[in-house]
Amino acid sequence: MSTYDATGSAARRPFSGRRARAGDLILQGVAGLAALGAVVLVGLIVYKVVQGSRLSLSTFGLGFLTSTGWDPVHSQFGAANLIYGTAITSFGALILATPLALGVALFLTELAPGWIRGPVTALVETLAAIPSVVIGLWGILVLGPVLRDDVMPQLHSALGFIPLFGPSSSGSTIFTAIVVLTIMILPIVSSISRELFLGVPAELKEAALGLGVTRWEMVRGVIFPYARGGVAAAMILGLGRALGEAIAVAQVIGAFNGPIHANLFFQGNTIGAELANEFSNATSNLELSSLFYLALILLVFSLLVNLLAQVIVRRVARKQGLVAQ
Amino acid sequence: MPRNGKLIRITFGVAAAAAVAAVAVMTASAASAKQSATTLTGAGSSLVAPAVSGIWAPAYSSAKGVNVNYSSIGSGKGIAAVTARTVDFGASDAPMTPDQASACNGCVEIPWALAGTGPVENIPGINGLQLHLTGPVLAKIYLGQITNWSDPAIKKLNKKLNLPNKTITVVHRSDGSGDTFVFTDYLSKVSKAWKSKVGSATTVQWPTGVGENGNSGVAAQVRSTPGAIGYVSTFYVVQNHLHMVRMKNSSGHFVYPSVKSIESASQILKKVPKDTGISITNPPKSKKFANAWPMATFTYVIVPKNSAKGPELRAFISWALGAKQQKSIQHLIFAPMPKLVVKAAKQRVKEIQ
Repeated sequence: MSTYDATGSAARRPFSGRRARAGDLILQGVAGLAALGAVVLVGLIVYKVVQGSRLSLSTFGLGFLTSTGWDPVHSQFGAANLIYGTAITSFGALILATPLALGVALFLTELAPGWIRGPVTALVETLAAIPSVVIGLWGILVLGPVLRDDVMPQLHSALGFIPLFGPSSSGSTIFTAIVVLTIMILPIVSSISRELFLGVPAELKEAALGLGVTRWEMVRGVIFPYARGGVAAAMILGLGRALGEAIAVAQVIGAFNGPIHANLFFQGNTIGAELANEFSNATSNLELSSLFYLALILLVFSLLVNLLAQVIVRRVARKQGLVAQ
Repeated sequence: MPRNGKLIRITFGVAAAAAVAAVAVMTASAASAKQSATTLTGAGSSLVAPAVSGIWAPAYSSAKGVNVNYSSIGSGKGIAAVTARTVDFGASDAPMTPDQASACNGCVEIPWALAGTGPVENIPGINGLQLHLTGPVLAKIYLGQITNWSDPAIKKLNKKLNLPNKTITVVHRSDGSGDTFVFTDYLSKVSKAWKSKVGSATTVQWPTGVGENGNSGVAAQVRSTPGAIGYVSTFYVVQNHLHMVRMKNSSGHFVYPSVKSIESASQILKKVPKDTGISITNPPKSKKFANAWPMATFTYVIVPKNSAKGPELRAFISWALGAKQQKSIQHLIFAPMPKLVVKAAKQRVKEIQ
């Protein structure tokens, strides 16, 4: 409640007179209620998730995190393969999306001719507005078969000695999910990066160019260091989006709940996808509770990622002697 | 003065917004009250969807003036929806589990159609109804023990076919599904290894394969993947032009799902169990079941016994159970239900208040 009071007193200062205060109080009340509502909602969700997972917590304990499989027939549930699948798809997507997104952002701020910038920016942002179920459908019908026929076999024959690039037979694989997630987080990372690059003071860039450096040296020496903290935060935001994505991943990953394997060109599963597939079909109370347990893991995962993001942003900002804006 | 005017404007604005909201709520509730008299909503099984939303709903609407809205969201979700009372009726091909039945809190489960699930393949160079398989071989494929179409076990059953040296891509449902229930129920009956390792349910832990959402997801994956095998409701085989597989039944005949072969399988019932579901998979060896399809299933409508729309639901379900309506869905490969099942179903309809 301390923030509530602080905003209140700060907002009251510029106005004077009794009549103005009534409007102020209404505003303060409405805004305060909205903020309070958000906090209460998060609290309720956490409470519900913890309460729902209680049966599974007491049945499996922490062993849930290290065991594998989702077997309603024999009432055996484990999250290890789902945690692995969630991690590999999210980080895989981040690794693919970051250089692409930085490229897009640099192109739009530094390299593209002016008349291209507007339309391309709008198109990239439109990518973020496509519903995930549509991207997933496109993943099944178009992307999956293309990857299966024209990308995965080639990668396998060239890099097959690395276990990650094993043989493939279907278009629904971990790799397909990574590519779909890449497409989904690309606009997030690129649009934030673009804003950051635009925020680099023109004097700095001009000074650098004035010293006779090439454009690439200017990008590397001025723009990247200046925007580093923000880009890290953008990446974490993208990671958060990838971690929680359920529907599109469920459509293209192939829902394999067997043992963990290295092959990206084979089926897998993620926490979000398993929740999307199973949540409304749970056949026993223990399965339902185990699904809540999964949700709890995802919640903790997301919280850790958010904390990590703040730590990174602060550290980079301190290093640069700048205050995070 | 200007500030005062602003305050008045805000107060007036809030009052106006409240009035608009109140009117909106009243209109909405009036509309829904009016709607409730003439609309039944249902959700669930995609197997029965072509019958309910394609044939019965329009016929019922023109005959009785009652609209039936049905969403094909899968059996598991259908049970969940009626449990949450967000629909008037649910539909599932698998009977409710004890946990589901108690969660549904006083629901009655009524068989209202008879259909089947069947394997489909996409082997380059092989047409529909050419491939012959037995239950144990199918189980081995789904256990991941047979992984190539040129496997001797498959070749032995298909001496006339030129089977390619191609990896088998196993496709199954990723969502809770009545088709999965029937399919795994059958495999459990024909393979001990399947029964002990995997078992039967609407969702199982698949030893291998690609999971896809819904009949349409499985159909799309099979159609787009050379070397794939999957299973779908019979209606979807026809609709998607997929290649059916002939299965060897207990009597030793290689059969495919049709109205006749599904109807024949249903003859196994001597009486209808009271509380549990009815399994008619894999009928035993007998002259009577010589041409019976081994993966036939009843599909159920699930209704709360105490429903605000009790009379409307009773009328609709009784109507659907009528001989004429049962016959009207035969071209979608639904077989007519045996008389004793219809009788038991009509008894259960009476339980709806």
